[in-house]
Amino acid sequence: MSKKIIYTMVGLALVFFIGSLFIFLKSSTDSKKKPRDVLDEEKSQELVIEPEFKIVNIFFFTEESRFMKPIQYKIEQPAIKQELYKKFLDLLIKGEENYITPIPDGVELRGLYFIEKKQLLVLDFNEQLISKFPGGTTMELEFIYYIVDNICYNFKEVRMVKFMVSGNECKVLSGHIDMDNPFYPDYRYLRDE
Amino acid sequence: MKNKLTPVAIILIIIPLSLLSLSINIRSSDHKGYTRIVFEGDRGFEYKYDQSNRGLEIRLKRKVELHKNITYFSRSILLDKVVHQLDNDKSVLKVHLRSKFKIKRNFILERPFRVVFDLVKSEEEEIDAEPEIKENVNENQPRKKKRELIETICIDPGHGGSDLGAVGSLKTLEKDITLKVSKKLKQLIMSKLGLDVIMTRNMDIEVSLNSRVSIANNQKAQMFISIHVNSSFRKSARGSETFFVSLKATDQEALRLSQKENKSFEEINKIAGDDELKMILWDMAQNEHIKESSKLAEYIQNELNILLHTRNRGVKQAPFRVLMRAAMPAVLVEIAFLSNYYEEKKLQDDGFLDDVVDAIYTGISKYIYYHNSMYR
Repeated sequence: MSKKIIYTMVGLALVFFIGSLFIFLKSSTDSKKKPRDVLDEEKSQELVIEPEFKIVNIFFFTEESRFMKPIQYKIEQPAIKQELYKKFLDLLIKGEENYITPIPDGVELRGLYFIEKKQLLVLDFNEQLISKFPGGTTMELEFIYYIVDNICYNFKEVRMVKFMVSGNECKVLSGHIDMDNPFYPDYRYLRDE
Repeated sequence: MKNKLTPVAIILIIIPLSLLSLSINIRSSDHKGYTRIVFEGDRGFEYKYDQSNRGLEIRLKRKVELHKNITYFSRSILLDKVVHQLDNDKSVLKVHLRSKFKIKRNFILERPFRVVFDLVKSEEEEIDAEPEIKENVNENQPRKKKRELIETICIDPGHGGSDLGAVGSLKTLEKDITLKVSKKLKQLIMSKLGLDVIMTRNMDIEVSLNSRVSIANNQKAQMFISIHVNSSFRKSARGSETFFVSLKATDQEALRLSQKENKSFEEINKIAGDDELKMILWDMAQNEHIKESSKLAEYIQNELNILLHTRNRGVKQAPFRVLMRAAMPAVLVEIAFLSNYYEEKKLQDDGFLDDVVDAIYTGISKYIYYHNSMYR
């Protein structure tokens, strides 16, 4: 056998060996990688669905009943918790067609602060809350518990709500209920159908 | 001839008429060691009496006329009320007493004709017989706060002046209705129960919530009734409701603190140096009267339900600023809804307001009867 033939055969064997080794290594790396990718994919699906939206129930007053009735909403969940509260409050202030919103026209939320240690949410409304409040004990209670019950029902980390007006302490709305202290929810106003 | 006959005719008419009607006035007074009850007739009358444990039944041989069928004696220590009933067209006067009693003496006085009973509490004699035992018991038990007979009531007409309160669609103002009802209620309480009544406002002026309660506290009123007219975002809401104050978060915290430390609010007040705690304690003035306030609210609401035939919204609790600092039983009455067209029309009717006043008055009377019957 000539030397030329021997070199060719050794060369081919070497190419075959290197090729096989490459294919083996590649397949072993793929087999290790695959389950992790699948897991990551599942995990990423979880992250997409759960944190981006929050399902909330907002209870509204109706003419037919003194209890509030719930409507479900899906709120896009922002990264900061307080922004979520703000979005929720905007829904409460906006109200719902064919339902009663016990908030006077022109009332806006100026700011809100969550004091985690006390589980207290402080809401600061504009001056219209006092100047445009029509008066009456039941009106005051309807306003207070529409806000407090809805917040505490949907956000378990909030145990009580305090009202402020234009950055100052709010004593009374229209001469009845004492607004000095925070309010706990009173779920007697809710009717979950 | 005609002139001579006229006086004779008048006498002939008057004599039989006067024989038919007899009017009796009842009054009572407490004296050292006994309570006197007097039945004063515009002429003489015959009577018999029977005595039971807590009552005295006086049977008359004819029908008499009384100003009221039930006469309450809210200020009397022993006497509760006298009820006038008819038995075979003859009058029976049932005297209800607050405790067991004995008749010390019974006699008749003339010009004007009076039947007098002097009554003594039979329990007092038992207490006198065993003074030492009673003292020992008192030393081992916590001293109960002395109950006082109700003599002064404070009525608070809600809103006033530039504070209009609720306004109806027919432009009825809450501040006007509350003043009208309060004035009528004051008149009724003074004339029928003979109690002192103070008002937080007598005219259309603005009075702050703190001043209202200060008036009641400073005058040492023993009952605080705030009169209001309701309003709701729901136009269909209707009916009357009576509120008493609810414990707030801060009150509950201070109450828990006082219980934990086994100290009275007064003791904590002495120890407390910071203003915040003092404010909490000041807010708690109503705490020790919550039970009585609840009872008073219940009596008034029951009468509103019966007399007004409005929807019963019941007795409720809420943190009312005007009630929280009242150092006496205190309630807030919401007569009806100005936001409801039909109830606003009713509120414009004086007849309806008179019914409201009657209902509140009866509720107050029943509460006073309950309160005084607990008085020892």
